[in-house]
Amino acid sequence: MSHAQQPILDPALAPPFPQAALPMLRDTQLRKNVAHATDVIQAKRARLIAEKSDWQQLRSAAALIRDEALENLGGYLEQFETRCKARGGVVHWAADAAEARVIVLGILQEENASEVIKIKTMTSAEIQLNPHLQAAGVKVFETDLAEIILQLGELEPSHIVVPALHVNRSQVREIFARTMGLDNLSDDPQALTAAARNYLRRKFLEVPTAISGANFLIAETGAVAVVESEGNGRMCLTLPRTLITLAGIEKVLPRYGDLEVMLQVLARSATGERMNPYTSLWTGVTPGDGPQRFHVVLLDNGRSAIRTRERERQTLRCIRCGACMNACPVYRQTGGHACGSVYPGPIGAILTPQLTGMKHAQTLPFASSLCGVCYEVCPVKINIPEILIDLRAQVTDQERGKAARFFDPMYLGMRVANLLFSRAWLFHAAQWKARIGLKIFTSKDGWIHSLPSIGAKWTQTRDLRGLPKQTFHAWWKQRKQASR
Amino acid sequence: MRASLFITCYNDTLFPDTGRAVVALLERLGVELDFHPRQTCCGQMHANTGFRAEAFSQAKRFVRLYQDAETVVIPSSSCVAMIRDQYTGLFDELGNEQLRREFKALLPRVYELSEFLVDKLAAVDVGAYFPHRVTYHASCHGLRALHLGDRPFRLLAKVRGMELVPLPNLERCCGFGGTFSVKNGDVSSAMLAVKLEDVMSTGAEFCTALDNSCLMHLGGAMHRQFAGMKTIHMAQILASTEMAPAEVLG
Amino acid sequence: MSPTLAARAKILKCLGAGHEAGGATPSQSCPRDYIRRGSLDADGRLAKLIERLREYDAEVAECAPDGLASEIATLLARSGRNSFVAPAGVPRQWLAPGVNWKIDGESGGELATEEIERCDGVLTACFCAIADSGTIVLHHSAAEGRRVLSLLPDWHLCILRASQIVETLPEYFDRCTEIPALVTWISGPSATADIEMTRIKGVHGPRFLNVIVVKEQGMGSRE
Repeated sequence: MSHAQQPILDPALAPPFPQAALPMLRDTQLRKNVAHATDVIQAKRARLIAEKSDWQQLRSAAALIRDEALENLGGYLEQFETRCKARGGVVHWAADAAEARVIVLGILQEENASEVIKIKTMTSAEIQLNPHLQAAGVKVFETDLAEIILQLGELEPSHIVVPALHVNRSQVREIFARTMGLDNLSDDPQALTAAARNYLRRKFLEVPTAISGANFLIAETGAVAVVESEGNGRMCLTLPRTLITLAGIEKVLPRYGDLEVMLQVLARSATGERMNPYTSLWTGVTPGDGPQRFHVVLLDNGRSAIRTRERERQTLRCIRCGACMNACPVYRQTGGHACGSVYPGPIGAILTPQLTGMKHAQTLPFASSLCGVCYEVCPVKINIPEILIDLRAQVTDQERGKAARFFDPMYLGMRVANLLFSRAWLFHAAQWKARIGLKIFTSKDGWIHSLPSIGAKWTQTRDLRGLPKQTFHAWWKQRKQASR
Repeated sequence: MRASLFITCYNDTLFPDTGRAVVALLERLGVELDFHPRQTCCGQMHANTGFRAEAFSQAKRFVRLYQDAETVVIPSSSCVAMIRDQYTGLFDELGNEQLRREFKALLPRVYELSEFLVDKLAAVDVGAYFPHRVTYHASCHGLRALHLGDRPFRLLAKVRGMELVPLPNLERCCGFGGTFSVKNGDVSSAMLAVKLEDVMSTGAEFCTALDNSCLMHLGGAMHRQFAGMKTIHMAQILASTEMAPAEVLG
Repeated sequence: MSPTLAARAKILKCLGAGHEAGGATPSQSCPRDYIRRGSLDADGRLAKLIERLREYDAEVAECAPDGLASEIATLLARSGRNSFVAPAGVPRQWLAPGVNWKIDGESGGELATEEIERCDGVLTACFCAIADSGTIVLHHSAAEGRRVLSLLPDWHLCILRASQIVETLPEYFDRCTEIPALVTWISGPSATADIEMTRIKGVHGPRFLNVIVVKEQGMGSRE
């Protein structure tokens, strides 16, 4: 990759979005890869949405089902726990990332596990599980093709469904050839995929412990559902002796039958398919079939706090389909790493800062032009623009009281502008003053080519028309007087 | 038909030509226009930058100013979107019962320009003449917040002498986004570059839209790059006739 | 109190009162105005299923009930494969001669994973098929087998009766009079698009899916 530095996907440490975005914007290969990948998925999605005459009704139903789950989340979680335990599952609760890591490592140590195979789960990336396990001497084998690419290439994910979409085939070839010792490997995706298949086969058959995430937890029966394409999920969910499933508490659905809506909207939104190749559902332990030891780790890590805010609760409806980032014109140009979080794109812009209790990732809500296409494509109708605006207000309220912000041009400017808008005569006087003040920046053709301070970010790529001599209101007044 | 024109703070300051065109157009269609002299801003810039209390005070002022207006016409989709989508939340949070009632009564009387022409005046052919090659950019607020649909296209289709060239990737954001254009100026510029490629590929002489916000962003880049295209607000196209062709500032 | 119990109490407290122990009543409270039932007749459903399966490069054959055994034999022979595994619950007639069969669960004995891994192919029944998405649904009953059986071998032959075909996903759920503990929904062979969005078939899981649809007598516009 052309960046000297590894992107930091820890919101507590990541640089502000504008700063993180700049090197991405200069990476033309990245922009090309992202544009290509998102165009492909979007085209597939669009075709399938067009053929689904009840798409809007499905979206509405999906949103209602998720809201129903969130409304009574405590009850449904308890119901899930009871049913899962009745079928031989062990249910753990983790208030935060640290607790979850301790629980997972604890189970692995009880099992004397020196290796673990993993199905891709962004939740495990959220809690930074892999480094924690590696540090304790547990070797982690990612089994999703994208995750293998990232793991072997020591790269960071940039998308929640297609995490390696920023990597092209020759980059993958280089990584596999180097780490798997395959000098004659071609860059044909078929060959690369076959290399991954061979690399993992023995691991699937031999490693007795697996970690998965969950797409859905079914309260009614205590079942867990995992949606995938490659089959590595089925391997990890079926072959080992012990399975640990890590799931955010918001993953709950009330009923088994709710899947008839959720599966229809998820596959179309995530990968542009009517149904993804494999969906697996299991309930606790089934004697003779699959892992005989099954643990679920229910993770809060900021979710219950998000739920308490009326406008923001809908953030938790998210089913991690990635449609928002595929459609987002900002993501198209910057990719996922600029967001400084394992959750990029529009959902990341609202989820990440909220998971930190608004203490970090405060530039993310501003990293949007509010175009609204994310809301348009979201299968569970999360009004992302509405939440972005609300989070901006929360950040501003936090910041504006600080002494340092008093003379910040943006904050000062906004307070002054408000004063000017409060009285027409003040506004008019300001317009007049501005025109005079900008005269020195206005060239003979009536345009401004360069401005200081915040204005410089405008004029770095755009001219600005110089303020016309007569405002509209002055013209109207003059016309009115002339007609008398 | 009487209507009150809310010109918007940025049109008043930067695009009085658009305002003049709106007046010429609507008066030609028989509308008796008035202009409230104390109008300033709808509060969108403050609302979208997180200055909610300030946005509220401007919103309140807007509602008070126009509570007796028969109809309010606004040549800017983003300002109408602000009023339709955000005023309720602001008034629920910071306002009182009376203000909420006043706003509820006012809301159905607020129109974006193309909505006013097509829905209220039932005027799709406004008698315009603009003999140029033009491409239309669908501003995000007009497209997704106001659901303007085919109104702009129906209006443009009736403009005599004009050749309308479709814009590739019509629904993709131009990258303006209000203060986003400076707070995230680099990303805004990248989105602008991509959008401009599509706009320039049409070979049109003018790029038009219903929002001068998008147009000053696109037009500002065209001017900087000595591109062979200019921007013009749709009101100015619709106001243009053989006798009084559109004024296009340099 | 153990750490996880403390966390549990803390989380449930934050999620607030308004939940009862044991969870909410599982009533269908959300309005269901999306399409639940399809509009195709039996022939239409079959045709659609075949179309969707073939889009995934699955091989599909049809036969009458008395032609099943020979159709199976033909497909097995054509596969060029020799050793097959089947769950103990499949009808004996399905176990065509001329190939090596390993039966899983016979007399209570389960095959070892390595044994299954060495098989070239697997034969199972299924619970139902969904025409709309070309999905085969396995509930892993006696005739469908443990999950590992339809996972490890590279070639999977699934036998289904035409009456097991539904059009829409909601119709499948309507057929679940009992909610299954284990389900696998298979919609085509495994695939990935992780490298430049180029769809590649067959990462893990069977790369070759074959389906025989048994058309029963008097198949008309029933249902």
